[in-house]
Amino acid sequence: MKNSKSKAKKTAELKKEKVLTLLQNHGLIMYNDLDQGKFPQFAVPSRSVSNIVYDKKLRQYILGNTSALRSSKNMSQLRSFTQLAWLAFFANKLIREGKTSTLRDIYYSSQAFAIDFEDQPESDNIIVDLEAILTSAREDFHIFPEERSSVFGDLTIEYTVPGYEGKRMNLSDHPDGYLIGPSLSSAELVDTSAELVIAIEKGGLFTRFVEEKVHKKFKAIIVDTAGQAPRSTRYLLRRLNGELGLPVVILADGDVYGEHIAMVIKSGSANAAHLRDLTVPDAKWLGVWATDIEKYKLPTIPMTEFDIKRIYELQKDPRYQEGNWKKQLEVFLKLKRKAELEAFSKYGLTNITDKYLPEKMELAKSL
Amino acid sequence: MSSTKETFSQISPSEFFYRNRDLAGFSNPTRSLYTSVREFVENALDACDQKGILPDIYLSIKAVDVEQPDPKQYILTVKDNGPGIESKHVPLAFGTVLYGSKFGLKQARGMFGLGATMAILYGQITTNKPVTVKSNTDGKMQDEFVMLLDIQKNKPIIQKHTTKESSKIGLSVSIVLEGDYSKAGTKIRDYVSQTSLITPYASIIFEDPTGEKSHYPRIVKEMPPPPTIIKPHPHGIDVETIRRMIVDTHYQIPTVDNKIITKVRSELGLQKKNLNPAGILDRAQKRWSNLSRPVRTVIAMMSFLNLDFDGLSKIRIDDLDIANKKLTYWNFGESQSHLIELDPESPYYKQLANTVQGDTLHSFLTKRFQRVGPTTADKFSEFAKFKAEKRIGSMTNEELVRLSDALQKFEEFLSPDPSCLAPLGEEPLSKGIMKFFNPEFAAVIQRSASAYSGFPFIVEMGIAYGGDIPPKGIQVYRFANRIPLLYDEGSDVVLKVVNELDWTRYKVKGETPLVIVSHICSTRIPYKTVGKENVADRPELERELKNALQYLARKLAVHMSRQGMADMAKKRANLYSKYVPLIAQFSTELAGKKQEPNYKQLIKKGSELEEQQI
Repeated sequence: MKNSKSKAKKTAELKKEKVLTLLQNHGLIMYNDLDQGKFPQFAVPSRSVSNIVYDKKLRQYILGNTSALRSSKNMSQLRSFTQLAWLAFFANKLIREGKTSTLRDIYYSSQAFAIDFEDQPESDNIIVDLEAILTSAREDFHIFPEERSSVFGDLTIEYTVPGYEGKRMNLSDHPDGYLIGPSLSSAELVDTSAELVIAIEKGGLFTRFVEEKVHKKFKAIIVDTAGQAPRSTRYLLRRLNGELGLPVVILADGDVYGEHIAMVIKSGSANAAHLRDLTVPDAKWLGVWATDIEKYKLPTIPMTEFDIKRIYELQKDPRYQEGNWKKQLEVFLKLKRKAELEAFSKYGLTNITDKYLPEKMELAKSL
Repeated sequence: MSSTKETFSQISPSEFFYRNRDLAGFSNPTRSLYTSVREFVENALDACDQKGILPDIYLSIKAVDVEQPDPKQYILTVKDNGPGIESKHVPLAFGTVLYGSKFGLKQARGMFGLGATMAILYGQITTNKPVTVKSNTDGKMQDEFVMLLDIQKNKPIIQKHTTKESSKIGLSVSIVLEGDYSKAGTKIRDYVSQTSLITPYASIIFEDPTGEKSHYPRIVKEMPPPPTIIKPHPHGIDVETIRRMIVDTHYQIPTVDNKIITKVRSELGLQKKNLNPAGILDRAQKRWSNLSRPVRTVIAMMSFLNLDFDGLSKIRIDDLDIANKKLTYWNFGESQSHLIELDPESPYYKQLANTVQGDTLHSFLTKRFQRVGPTTADKFSEFAKFKAEKRIGSMTNEELVRLSDALQKFEEFLSPDPSCLAPLGEEPLSKGIMKFFNPEFAAVIQRSASAYSGFPFIVEMGIAYGGDIPPKGIQVYRFANRIPLLYDEGSDVVLKVVNELDWTRYKVKGETPLVIVSHICSTRIPYKTVGKENVADRPELERELKNALQYLARKLAVHMSRQGMADMAKKRANLYSKYVPLIAQFSTELAGKKQEPNYKQLIKKGSELEEQQI
């Protein structure tokens, strides 16, 4: 524990330095090109479907080798090249000054520099370009989406954001949990007594778990993913797993979407194939499985056509070709019915924490 | 018991218009001043057009008392260099209502020449001042009339008639009327300037009440070809018109008076000889093929009635009953009616019968209508289920209705003859538009003639873009028979067509500097109202307008994309000098350098690249 703690202390700082170095290197290359009368250019990894492949070793989607050259020599690319250069410049400033920005904010900030983004989708696109070039999430250069997920449990963090540097905080002090925002994402993880992380899809169940003291009973940190887990949440889960060595288990609704929420936490999404450090390859999906529906006699609702279509789509995904993942999809397809996490309430409010969770945890050990 | 007794009395046309002046556009001082200007200017232009004279029009509006507030009395004068009106016709032409020379079937600005007398009438009833007409037809003498209208009798009252020597041919009309220039001024100025646009071969000078002169010089020196008067088209005919066409021919039993007797004598070579009826008939037989129809008819009567010229002049044919082969006539001398049997075997019977029954349907169609040949006439007869030999004079009322109906419905008639139309022509229209708007781009089109309900029409249209045109969206200038239409544009068919076009397809969006000039020429413009300010949406007309507009819009689109490419090239020209310094600024900060790189070389390279690509 001690060892991991001292290593953890540096993580946020290291990450910051890494991104800054990357940015400076790109700046230097551009600078030198300009000085030598050469047109600077970026190689932007292609994000087209044909260039997204599943890496079995990394256990996540990654981009292939195809990349497009964005050159300032090409008249039709000159504008977007300049936009990219500006974004790098602006990200550098944000990191150095310890400030954060949002996607919308970027669009407006650009207008102060005569960088004419026509609309926000254009600026959003350039942000993803920069992510791909630096292989770093936008959160790493301080650009955040709106946050909605939260965390609760015995975890002590130390802020690195300006004005709070060195300030520590324990995440079990507030029963509603703590928003996983920019300051939490950039904080150092100092200490924890927890032995487990439980990621749960729904805010309602998150509150129930806190009320039922699941964090104490299971020595767990509880994370509310609020549906499909945002990047900052996935990054936090990875750090809890990687830096503090805590196993991660996932509880989601008993339907195809719930299964995929677990899968994305475990091995990422195609949309973020250009990024690393957002996956928890060893995370375990506890449920609700399709087979649990019959086993626990859960009240169900029928699937929609859309749900069924989604099952067929996922059956083509390489990650669903074997094991439990494959089996559960097949059972869902057979049942054509789904059950939500709240379905356990039929057998009492604490049924899920007192009966289901311990049984599944026991089972998880063998997974 | 009391009874009210209604009295019926006929009113004169002047009186009718006096009572219904709103109909003709004289509803208030503002509208009346505008309408008066229009009527006089249009008459002047029509007069010049008809004689192929390049018009020089002078229009002036002067306040009688400048100090007075509007509405007040104005003196309106319009002078032209047209053919003038012969002295003897002046009082009738300007002193009576419904006296005109425009009743033929061809395109003219006004119909019938009603408006000018209406304006004179309006001037008289609002100010009680006479009209002054100066006319010079020969370049030697000028007649000046000062007249009032006797409204009840529809007759002119000449107050003064003087003549003086003058070398300037033309007509000048001057009236005093109540008007409101402060309100009508804008419309009048628009009217005059738009008239100059659609009449580029005219020179127009307008002197307004402040004494300011606007001169619209002549832009083109050639007159467009004048229209010709033509026969009607079958589609444009109703029962009443057919009835009139049958009656107003020479297919009538002539009244035997001295004039016809002289004619008969001369055709028979009997100027100096007197023959008895038998001798006359004998002589007529020999010359039959050379005799005119009325003369033949007189001879036929002579044979049946056995009367000489003297006898014939004392009777009146009352009825010729072909069905029962009987003829009734009235003898003035005896004051007595006679009935005689007609011998159908007589060679003269057919002559008489044919005369009364008029033309055969076949020759009625070919002779009295435009563009109907023998084949079409036969086809039509079959279509209408009439024998081609059927005499139209023998048709019953029901048959006439059936004939008129069939004339409307038969679809194989050739489209109406457009030679009665006088479009402006593409070149003068284009020159007018260039001069008037000074645009960056202009295109015009004259569609080929088309017709609605038997009335031919031609659509001419022009489009102008950019240049001096203000970017206020699409402005539409509407003209009909070379008259600007300024009021009631909302409900006009041209506006409808312009608004319905999907302009974005032609690269036109937003507040584009765009002008559309639409000119409809027709022997009868389908106006929606008596005020003649908006054109109704006949499907045939709408289709022509749409085709013209689409053609022009395509031309504009081609121009726009060319211009777009030029703009793009211009934009590109500055691309490197705009972006490279920015890249330099950003990279300097990213790299943590203090000095910006030397990027001048790169901008130079960039502009070389740009030149290659353009």
